[in-house]
Amino acid sequence: MAQSQVPVTVLTGYLGAGKTTLLNRILSEQHGKKYAVIVNEFGELGVDNDLVVNADEEVFEMNNGCICCTVRGDLIRIIEGLMKRKDKFDGILVETTGLADPGPVAQTFFTDEDVKARTRLDAIVTVIDAKHFFGQLEQGSEAEQQVAFADVILLNKTDLVSPDELAKVEDRIRGINRYARIFHTQNSQIALDAILDKGAFDLGRILEFEPDFLHSGHDHHHEDEVRSLSITADRPVDPDRFQKWMGALLQIKGGDIFRSKGILAIDGAPRRYVYQGVHMMMDSDWGTPWKDGDKRSSKLVFIGRNLDGDNLQRGFDDCLK
Amino acid sequence: MKIDLANPAWQQTLPPARSLATAAPVAACAFNRDGTIVGFALGDGQVRLLPADIKAATPDAADPLHKGVVLSLVGDPAGDGFVSGGDDGRVLRIAADGTATELLALKGKWFEHLVAHRTGAVAASAGKSMFLFRDGEVREFGPHPSTVAGLDFSKDGSRVACAHYGGITVWSLSKDVALPPRRFAWQGSHVALRWSTDGKFIATGTQENDIHVWRVAQATDMRMQGYPAKVKSLSWTADARWLYTSSQPVFTAWPFSGKGPEGKPPLQFGDEGAGLITVVAAHPSAEFVAGGYDSGELQLGDIRTRRSVVLKMADGAAITCLAWSPDGFKLAVGNDRGDLLTIDLRR
Repeated sequence: MAQSQVPVTVLTGYLGAGKTTLLNRILSEQHGKKYAVIVNEFGELGVDNDLVVNADEEVFEMNNGCICCTVRGDLIRIIEGLMKRKDKFDGILVETTGLADPGPVAQTFFTDEDVKARTRLDAIVTVIDAKHFFGQLEQGSEAEQQVAFADVILLNKTDLVSPDELAKVEDRIRGINRYARIFHTQNSQIALDAILDKGAFDLGRILEFEPDFLHSGHDHHHEDEVRSLSITADRPVDPDRFQKWMGALLQIKGGDIFRSKGILAIDGAPRRYVYQGVHMMMDSDWGTPWKDGDKRSSKLVFIGRNLDGDNLQRGFDDCLK
Repeated sequence: MKIDLANPAWQQTLPPARSLATAAPVAACAFNRDGTIVGFALGDGQVRLLPADIKAATPDAADPLHKGVVLSLVGDPAGDGFVSGGDDGRVLRIAADGTATELLALKGKWFEHLVAHRTGAVAASAGKSMFLFRDGEVREFGPHPSTVAGLDFSKDGSRVACAHYGGITVWSLSKDVALPPRRFAWQGSHVALRWSTDGKFIATGTQENDIHVWRVAQATDMRMQGYPAKVKSLSWTADARWLYTSSQPVFTAWPFSGKGPEGKPPLQFGDEGAGLITVVAAHPSAEFVAGGYDSGELQLGDIRTRRSVVLKMADGAAITCLAWSPDGFKLAVGNDRGDLLTIDLRR
């Protein structure tokens, strides 16, 4: 039986940033839709909903020799269980703990065939406490990773900081991830269509997530700082050379590359070639056809740690015709 | 039992069956101890009980017993009905007349796996714990390193093995002698477990599409690879000579007689082309095996002759559970669309 894939929205953010408030909002608003919610702590949600499931955040290493390949074992199990319900639902919301690395959640949707057959990762939404963000960055790599993985960022509690402070926080976020959509919110107040059904991992919609080139982030980066960058090319791409280069790159640097996506103008191909990845895992497909008059250029986006833009550009240039 | 798969009648016509459509995915099915009732665990909280006699009238549906999905079901080894587990955190004992009594309720837990032993014991898993129901008592074993993803009794019912991340744990159930649990380690996540019918081996399926098998006495192990999907269904033959595994397009059996399967290929037979086997169930006494496919096809195979026949045509709804009646004449089948099927093989 052909079943449509249920969209999954991953909700990350530090403790106290406003995730639970956002979840409550989603569950209590009159939108006529039904969501299953996978949370870490029962009882935090004020809404009575029999589709709220408690997760244990069990991060499993895959026994396949790939060290950064970790998945959420509990998520695989819970999704399988949810699919046994007679009453279907419109989407699944996964709340991670405040200190969670979003990597294993995202990779679960690339790795597990059963999960892939039933669901699709829609977007990673990160809620940030504008007042405490800088402090949280100091406390470890989690806050930075959560920003790096995000497709949508709710810069929350903007009423608790001055416009000046807010601009500094936003600037810092942009320094890490300049491709995410940022919304300023108070009390996690946001239109649901801003965070749900975004298709951020949909290869067919990668074009909708065109990088924001107009923004000028500061260019001073420490070696280990998480940042985002894009590289481009106007000459057609040799598919074999690209495959080899990207394969080697992810093999060596996959642990440092949180997200990557790209649109390629393959030599002689009538369609765009699109891909996107999380760490070492990648999905790719043929996208929309090039039309007459389209500028056939390629663009790759990376978000990660220890990224050397010049080196990446040189490597990519070697893949061109 | 007179089933000759070479007989043209078997090849040409589907056997008589009772079929009922419920529209709620079927998570598990089982016969009761004496084989008179067949139970189906449904995705709407119902445990549907039907007479095993396919010619008997079909009773009306009763009210749901669980709030949510009935995730697991076994024939009650200490009664005339069943024991069920749900995602409402409850384990129920269901009498043959459908009345239920609660054995355990744990808020927020999912009772995903249940196994029964003929001595009357039932073991269930929820989260990181295993629960033993015996002689009117409930005992908890654990916690395991992760959520228990499969469990089974030893042949004599004195132990239970639980699969989890990083390997399996074998618990001695004796109340008189408290033995520490034995841990058999193998990296990765183990997602299904079956103890061999002779008690000598424990087999698991892994997240990485492998099979792992331990020799219990020697604590040595072996790994079988080459599956295109996770092996979530494992079934030992009654004589423990073969281990059937799902996730192949044909019946796939590893030989465990003599020196075991090391260095040998599995025996494969049956009709290809119906997709992948999702559930496999060895016959309780004879050398037959039933396999349900993700396409909905159901095949019956005979390992002696390597013949197979189609018992149910592919209809696109993946088969999710299979159960043989204790006498081996009937087969219960459920799928993810909510069809409940009872097939009578005496023709």
